[in-house]
Amino acid sequence: MKRHEPTTADSLEMVAPGQTMESVSREISAIPLSAPHMRFWWIGFSVSFLAMMVLLGSLAWILTKGVGVWGINIPIAWGFAIINFVWWIGIGHAGTFISAILLLLHQEWRTSINRFTEAMTLFAVACAGIYPLIHLGRPQFFYWLLPYPDTMGLWPQFRSPLVWDVFAVSTYATVSLLFWYVGLLPDLATMRDRAEGLARRRIYGLLSLGWRGDGGHWHHYRKLYIVLAGLAAPLVVSVHSIVGMDFAIAILPGWHSAIFPPYFVAGAIFSGFSMVLTLIIPLRSVYRLEGMITARHLDLMAKVMMAMGWIVAYGYFSEFFTAWRSGDIFDRYVALNRVVGPYAPYFWALMACNIAAPQFLWSRRIRQNLVALWAVAFCVNVGMWIERFVIVITSLHRDFMPSAWGMYHATFWDYSTFFGTLGLFASLLFLFIRFLPMISMTEMRALVVAKQKERP
Amino acid sequence: MTDPIDFATGQAGRMWRSMGERELPSEWRSIVTPEFALGADQWPPGMDRREFLRLMGASLALGGLAGCTRPAGRLVPYVTPPEEALPGSPEFYATAIPIEGYARGILVESHLGRPTKIEGNPDHPESGGSTDALTQAAILSLYDPDRSKAPLHRGAEQSWEAFEAEWRAFRPGLLAKKGQGLALLSEPTTSPTFLRQIGRLLAAFPEARWYQHTPLATYGVGGSQMDFDFRRARVVLFVGSDCLFRHPACLRYSRDFASRRRVTGTAPPGSRVYAVEATPTLTGAAADFRLPASPNRIRTLLDAVSGLVDGNAPAEGAALTAAEYAFATSLAHDLRSAAPEVVCVAGSEQDPDVQAWALAMNAKLGAAGGTLRLLPQVRSDNDPRSAGALDRLAAALRADEVQSLFVLGSNPVYTSAEFRGLAAELARVPFTVHVGSHVDETGALCRWHLPEAHFLEAWDDRRGYDGTTSLVQPLIQPLYEGRSVLEVLHGLHTDEHATSYDLVRQTWEAGGGEDFEVRWARWLREGKVEGTQSAALVGPSAALFPTLSRPGASVGLFLLLVPDASVLDGRWSNNAWLQELPRPLTQLVWDNAALISPSLAANLGAKTGDMLRIEDGSAAVEAAAYVLPGHGPGCVTLSLGYGRTRAGAVGNGRGFDATPIRRTALWENPNISVRRTGSTYPLVTTQHHFTMEGREPVRLLPAGRMLPDAADPSVSLYPAWKPGTNAWGMSIDLGTCIGCNACVVACQAENNTPVVGKDQVSRGREMHWIRIDRYFDGDLDAPRILNQPIPCMHCENAPCEVVCPVGATVHSSEGLNEMVYNRCVGTRYCSNNCPYKVRRFNFLDYTDRRDSPVNLQKNPDVTVRARGVMEKCTYCVQRINTARIDAAKADRPIRDGEIRTACEQACPLGAIVFGNVADPRSRVAALKREPANYSLLGELNTRPRTTYLARVTQELREAPA
Repeated sequence: MKRHEPTTADSLEMVAPGQTMESVSREISAIPLSAPHMRFWWIGFSVSFLAMMVLLGSLAWILTKGVGVWGINIPIAWGFAIINFVWWIGIGHAGTFISAILLLLHQEWRTSINRFTEAMTLFAVACAGIYPLIHLGRPQFFYWLLPYPDTMGLWPQFRSPLVWDVFAVSTYATVSLLFWYVGLLPDLATMRDRAEGLARRRIYGLLSLGWRGDGGHWHHYRKLYIVLAGLAAPLVVSVHSIVGMDFAIAILPGWHSAIFPPYFVAGAIFSGFSMVLTLIIPLRSVYRLEGMITARHLDLMAKVMMAMGWIVAYGYFSEFFTAWRSGDIFDRYVALNRVVGPYAPYFWALMACNIAAPQFLWSRRIRQNLVALWAVAFCVNVGMWIERFVIVITSLHRDFMPSAWGMYHATFWDYSTFFGTLGLFASLLFLFIRFLPMISMTEMRALVVAKQKERP
Repeated sequence: MTDPIDFATGQAGRMWRSMGERELPSEWRSIVTPEFALGADQWPPGMDRREFLRLMGASLALGGLAGCTRPAGRLVPYVTPPEEALPGSPEFYATAIPIEGYARGILVESHLGRPTKIEGNPDHPESGGSTDALTQAAILSLYDPDRSKAPLHRGAEQSWEAFEAEWRAFRPGLLAKKGQGLALLSEPTTSPTFLRQIGRLLAAFPEARWYQHTPLATYGVGGSQMDFDFRRARVVLFVGSDCLFRHPACLRYSRDFASRRRVTGTAPPGSRVYAVEATPTLTGAAADFRLPASPNRIRTLLDAVSGLVDGNAPAEGAALTAAEYAFATSLAHDLRSAAPEVVCVAGSEQDPDVQAWALAMNAKLGAAGGTLRLLPQVRSDNDPRSAGALDRLAAALRADEVQSLFVLGSNPVYTSAEFRGLAAELARVPFTVHVGSHVDETGALCRWHLPEAHFLEAWDDRRGYDGTTSLVQPLIQPLYEGRSVLEVLHGLHTDEHATSYDLVRQTWEAGGGEDFEVRWARWLREGKVEGTQSAALVGPSAALFPTLSRPGASVGLFLLLVPDASVLDGRWSNNAWLQELPRPLTQLVWDNAALISPSLAANLGAKTGDMLRIEDGSAAVEAAAYVLPGHGPGCVTLSLGYGRTRAGAVGNGRGFDATPIRRTALWENPNISVRRTGSTYPLVTTQHHFTMEGREPVRLLPAGRMLPDAADPSVSLYPAWKPGTNAWGMSIDLGTCIGCNACVVACQAENNTPVVGKDQVSRGREMHWIRIDRYFDGDLDAPRILNQPIPCMHCENAPCEVVCPVGATVHSSEGLNEMVYNRCVGTRYCSNNCPYKVRRFNFLDYTDRRDSPVNLQKNPDVTVRARGVMEKCTYCVQRINTARIDAAKADRPIRDGEIRTACEQACPLGAIVFGNVADPRSRVAALKREPANYSLLGELNTRPRTTYLARVTQELREAPA
């Protein structure tokens, strides 16, 4: 075999040649400040906003009538709400993974995408956070899952993974928000300095918390940022592990599996990267950010995605292997039922989206073809949703007692709440790119300086 | 009655408010009479702001004085409470429920004057303390919001006085003609007082005619009725009979049947039970050997059996199949060897020749006088005073011989195809009166509709199938203006006032004596009149087998009509509990369906839900198909009681009307054609999957064998529960359970379980805390049919408890898996983690409207659950607590059998036993030591407190050489 030679992809630049500290700041801050491509923005935001209104309407109806407006039943007492929750939480993971873990690993290619992916994390967690609340039969009592000093001396029941979930998700949301905001501070100050008009300057000024850029600020900032990255890194693993345990703790065949925590984490990062690609490919074209989010970035993200895809594939294999090896008739039946049962089309769609589709990424040409890469990423997004559907629904619908077997029929409100959160997510993203720098100017400037040093 | 005054139009009524109004010039009327006169919104001249406020203030101040008026009527202060009434503790009264005219002794639970629950009367021979599903559901009918509330005259509300006045004006004409033209239609009854009233009426109107009509079985042949003693029967043959489930004596039969079926050790059951039937029944499913066959093949088989019993080989040309031959030879061998301790039972809906065959076989084997008794018919089917059945009334109507018609609690316009065509004739009758609980199909066509009091609202007396008479005493004043049929009958021929109480007492005072009051009180307390049991007639001794005709000799298919398991002939149509009760064997709710065998389904190319058109040349009905394994080949079963149009909000427009294709009172229609119409209908069942998938939730145990040892269940990371004084547990005997659903309705009545409707059930949200699972085992055409009641297992290692994030489901010190509704936030994780799927969730607000009378039925000891809350079987924790308090007050331990869960109490077969498993002497502990005892899904290490006794199976005898 021929020795691996440096090829075009490896030699792809992190930053386009000719970028300077000044040009980086100018180009990035221009997007919120001088608002280019407003036609794109308005159309996108309007559509997203309408979808968000669908969410509000659906929530109103669900709170008025009860969760029975969904298709859930006995035996399938969890439906779209849980599927969507896990899907959204998983999507969030790419952000934390990119910004925290890759930062700690000194992967400099994270620089131009971390801001955007962190925002994506926050918005995905916001969408995810809705579901555990509204899926409760009595959402008004959600706070009973919190350990607060109750006059009756009642505590949550700590053996339940749903309680762990409360801690995991709320910690994750808090740390993600802090990490994102701390990272924004110097950029907000840049925005303040560059903004025209008193109101804008005041608002950015307030948000930048008095950042003046002196040495002390930078000193503290760097330390805090690393500490937060260190805090966020284990959360990448813990949150989705615990979400995985929501299922794995149960005795239900198809859920009760030791592989779930790592397999869920890999799935989360898998879906997160696919979502980043799905969003960033069109955005970088519209806002002409090819100079900063380069083909090399896309290439690397595609590789991470493929790697995660293989871990997920191993998870699938492991489930089937364990079911077969255990000899347990219930486990075996669930495995068989997934493949040939009434929900088999979902299973095969899952295989196509999550295992078959990423294999195209072995080809560099496809990794560098924007349309093809986007299509694969989109497939994985769909596939990861179906994966949760398969886990939740096909395990529940035929468990131990054949007499209690049932089917899940999603209702209009199942779909409307799902599409509604897509609207919420997109609305928040559009507001984000309209008003905040979607690439970290601070870190880009540092990168440009570093690259200039390399290239004398 | 004066004319209503119409103030709205100002037209002269007969009343006026003042002299001025009376003399009001007509042009003023238009100003005075409208609510808001012309210019009422204008500020009146001369009224300033101060004046206005002064007047307003005075009006408000004086308005308060209106509250000073004394309320009408007398108030009695609650100084001396009624004797023995203790707020918070229920009282029980013995009475009887009429089921198809026959009495069944019951005890009714009453909370401060409000009847809430019906239990069986242990002292009554036809109850023995247990009930069936209909009896349990009867309490809901009392509070049915659609019950008629006042007399109606051509649909307009009227008073009883108005009816009486009109009748009194009509009566002299009738009297003059000795009652000619007066027709009464009632259901056959066992009520001595009713029959006494009929006698008095016919004495006053000698030419009047009393017709009787029941769309259901008559339970008698030639003036006598067969009564069986299953306690002594070692071999039983059921020919198309469902007498353990639907029969006036079904509770006694069930109890007796179970007494021989209960298995101890590895012994076989005490009886060998054979069933041959076309429509699968619960009784057939309970048999050891069940042979599905078409009505023609049944007769061929019976001929072969009678031949074999005589020692002859089956006749030439009988050509039994291998399965039929094995069945017949084994049966004949068993019958001969066990005689006379055998019973052959032909279904009440079978043709007379089949019933005669059964009688002859019993006589031949010497069962008469032993396991078979002939009793005089207690119901008035053959009363000599009766002018006949519905066809006679129809003829009289057509001939315009009827001047006045009283329909007493019968609904012939729905139940009879012939009567449906008589609307014009009915309209020609000058005086038609319908007495009934609802304005049903018949009531809508009558001039007068009179509301009938519920049996818990009025006095009556009834006799059980064995003749035992019970006084029916009311538990509550009529909720509406209902009166009993006895009172209506009484009012027909006399003006003297008498309540139902007076009338029933008069009947029994006749045999009076000095200690009548003492005896009357005892009869009421015990719920039966002693010494009224029928004496057996001399049984048939000669065994003359009838020639069994072959009704279906032609090429067509058979149509078999059966009473619906829940609504019978439609009389229970408006009872939501019964509508939502999964029908035995099919698990259908809210509908009936055309049941067909898998082979016929294949021939027709039909599957469950496909609409079928069933024609017999002159009439046709359409019904959705339901493919039922084990159904006899070549026939279609359709149940009565559906397609009602005026049953009420619950029963209207449900299912498929079988009446048009029913020939008067016949159960078989031997020559029909069936084809698919191409459309489909959404049938809803509570169970969708009927094979056990190799998991054996129902264990079958060949007689004499042991169950394989279960794995040691003691492995757990958590410490075991410390055994206390009490550890509640339950044992369910699958060998005796026949799946009759009595426990399901009893649980619903006891625990305030809501009804959710067909749509919600179709979404898998039925709320029953105990369900009867049904599985088919073996061959699709002749499977073994298995029933399994599933309440909460109250696992010692309960998977539900671990996953609840708020601790809303917890373990009690006595081993109950408790559900704390107040704490539940509704994550539903517990249900997902329950391997038995016994948990039920309030997906929507399933409680009744606040103003619904149905709320009066609610058990005050059980919380009504809110939306978003999980619920499940509690082992009737309210009953446990009551017993605990009683025992603590008496300073003694809780006795075995003192606590009976609602399901256990209702069970006619005694298949459910609840008790303290920590007490080795308790019944439940003894049952759990039986070798047939097993835990459902015990391999999951849930350690369920509810365990099952496997169903012991027997083998057919080899053909004798």
